[in-house]
This record gives sequence, C-alpha cells and structure tokens, in this order.
Amino acid sequence: MNGPSAHVTATTRPATARYVEHVMGMPISLALRGRHTDDAAARGAWAEALAALRDVDRVFSTYRADSFVSRLGRGELEIDDCPPEVGEVLALGEVARLQSHGAFDVRRGGLLDPSGVVKGWAVERAARPLRALAGTDVCLSAGGDLVCHVAGPDSADWRVGIEDPHDPTRVVAVVPVRNGAVATSGLAHRGGHVVDARSGGVPDAIASVTVVHDDLTWADIDATAAFALGRDAARWLRTRPRRTGLVVWADGRTELVR
Amino acid sequence: MKRIVLWLLSTVSAVVLLFGYHTSTSGPAGTAQSPVGASLSTTSTTATSGSGGTGGDEPSSGTTVTGEVAQTRWGPVQVQITTDASGTITDVEVIQYPSGSREDEQINSSALPELIQETLDAQSAQIDMVSGATVTSEGYVRSLQSALDQATA
Repeated sequence: MNGPSAHVTATTRPATARYVEHVMGMPISLALRGRHTDDAAARGAWAEALAALRDVDRVFSTYRADSFVSRLGRGELEIDDCPPEVGEVLALGEVARLQSHGAFDVRRGGLLDPSGVVKGWAVERAARPLRALAGTDVCLSAGGDLVCHVAGPDSADWRVGIEDPHDPTRVVAVVPVRNGAVATSGLAHRGGHVVDARSGGVPDAIASVTVVHDDLTWADIDATAAFALGRDAARWLRTRPRRTGLVVWADGRTELVR
Repeated sequence: MKRIVLWLLSTVSAVVLLFGYHTSTSGPAGTAQSPVGASLSTTSTTATSGSGGTGGDEPSSGTTVTGEVAQTRWGPVQVQITTDASGTITDVEVIQYPSGSREDEQINSSALPELIQETLDAQSAQIDMVSGATVTSEGYVRSLQSALDQATA
C-alpha cells in the first residue's frame, strides 16, 4: 500500500486538483483539471455540489427519522406532501423494478428504501455546477460511484480504477472515461446492503458488479440490480442498452460485459 | 385489449411523469381516476403493435406501446411499455430521459474496462479515481481513493 506521500501523477498526466468532503457517511472526492481548478469558480461549484448532496440527504435519508422518505415510509405523509424529487426517484425505482424482473425494488417487507436509486441520481445532479465550469475536466465520486466530464477533444481521458472486491488496496481493471459514469455494487457496500428483493436473500455468487454508462443514475441502478440478480448478473447486463461493465465473481474470476 | 393498453400507458405515464405514485396496493380504479393519467391517455394515438402480425393475433403475443414525448420540468420524457397477452406490463423502457440532454458532448458509455493482468496498485496503474463498493467514510483513510486524493494538490 502506498503511503500518503506516493505521487501517482506521472509527468505524462495533466495536473489535477483534488477536494474531499464527507457527506451522507461517504467520502465525496472531486478531481479537476484545466482552467478552473483552484479559483473562486472552482470552489464555488464544489460548494454547490456539496450543498446539493446535503439537500438530498435531508429529503431521502433512511437513517434520519425526520426525512421525507422516512415519514412517507411510515405512512405519515402522502407522496403529494413530499418535494417533487421524491416522486421522480420513486418513479425511477418503479422502472428499475420492472426492468430487473423484480430483483430491484425500493420496497421490501413494508419498508421504503430508495437508496439504491438516490445515490447515483444525487451525484448526477450534484455534478451539474461542476460540469458548467468552462474549459475544465471534472471527475466527481461519491463513495466509489462517479461521473466524468471532459471539456473537449484535447482533454485526456479520466482513468478510473475498478477496485478489487477481494483486496480493496488493489484494482482489477482500469476504464478510460470521457463523458460518462462508473458505478460499482458489491457485498462490502454497507455490509450486505444489497438484497434480491424477490427472495430477500443476499447474493453470494458475485463479489462486485461495475457498470459504465452515460449517466450515473442508471449506472448505479443497474449495478445494484445486476448484483441483486446474482448468477444472472452478466447475462442481464448484456441486455441493457449502452452499458459496459465488469463482473467479479465470488471465486475471483472476472467477466467483461460489452 | 385497446382499453387495457390505454389504461396501462396512462398508469406508466403517471408513474414516470411523477404526478402519481404507483404502489403495489393501489388498485386500477385509483390510478385510472387520476386526472393526469386521464389527460395522458391521448398518447395512445401513437401506439404501435410490436407483434407485426395481423391485428387478430394481438392477444396471443406481447404488445409494445410507445408514448409521446412529454415535457416535464426536468426535460422531455418518453416511455415505451411492453405487455404480455394478459395485459400485464412486462417491461418499461425509458426512451428519452431528462438527464440525457448532453447530446453535444462526446459520450463514451461504450468504454471498456481493461483488465490488469497482474494486480497493480494505484501508483503503477496511473489511475485518477477508484470505483468500488467498499468506499465508506469509515474505511476511507486506508483506501486507494484516499491515497489518490492526497497525492496531488
């Protein structure tokens, strides 16, 4: 393992400014290259992104008893009493449930938990002020799910390492991304958080699923749904339009999905 | 059959357009009575049968219906639903979604992960960011991502 002094930026890589904050129990990491990396515009956009994530947490957190979603789940509120974003997220969850043949469901055993939709959706929204920075390449990660943006054809790719689920100090693959998103779901994710909604069981055939797609909302949903589908993960992911990815099976084998 | 598809489409439209929430306990009547669902039922004018056969065999196979593009406050939304012979929704495809409004950019969702033959660390693999399922605040200080975040300023 590298110490903090390890310098990963080789001379061939462009200079990158980095920011880190913790929101919703997750590290939020930002990398910027280009025109606005360390000026007032960059810091303002970063503050806006963090504020957007904190707003989402107030509305959607299942860890906060007073969030709209917690109160909706307990039947204390109707959907019309909630901000319109709640309806948007639940509608996405309903589409995901149908498309994953029920493996993905924001409702399980009477509990409402849309966090499988919220994270990617929230980061996609939070990235908007950063994408608006002129002449600037952006990579924004929330707990290992990330969006990438490049300013133009001359920008270098963002090189995204895919963590080895059996040894998180290592990566098993690298994917070059220009404008797009990468999401990974796995068992280690909040301690067996992902369950197959059809059976209630925790999938054990897969160590992790990574999905590369245009936007993080659907990359994140599909990574979670594929993980919940267990042995059918790679097969199902191949039926999904404009997705690529990587399945790391429990026995350590890796399978590319293209 | 037509009426069933009509109702299904209005249900899905209501769901996707966020004016209503389709729960597992809400009955057909409740959804159909939603004013938004009713107003959106006109989208069936663009309905096309996915079977491609004669109209007579429609009940024996699945039907795909494409809705019109609806403008929402988040941007245009268009859905396509597929039903089986009994009228049950078997699939919903969101053909157009507000966040897909970046056509002018070079989207490269087809980017393929390159497997690394020997397991390498972040330094030798020259990576910018880590995608993984173990990235939590608790484990962050020991993570590869943490090393990356501290490596450059």
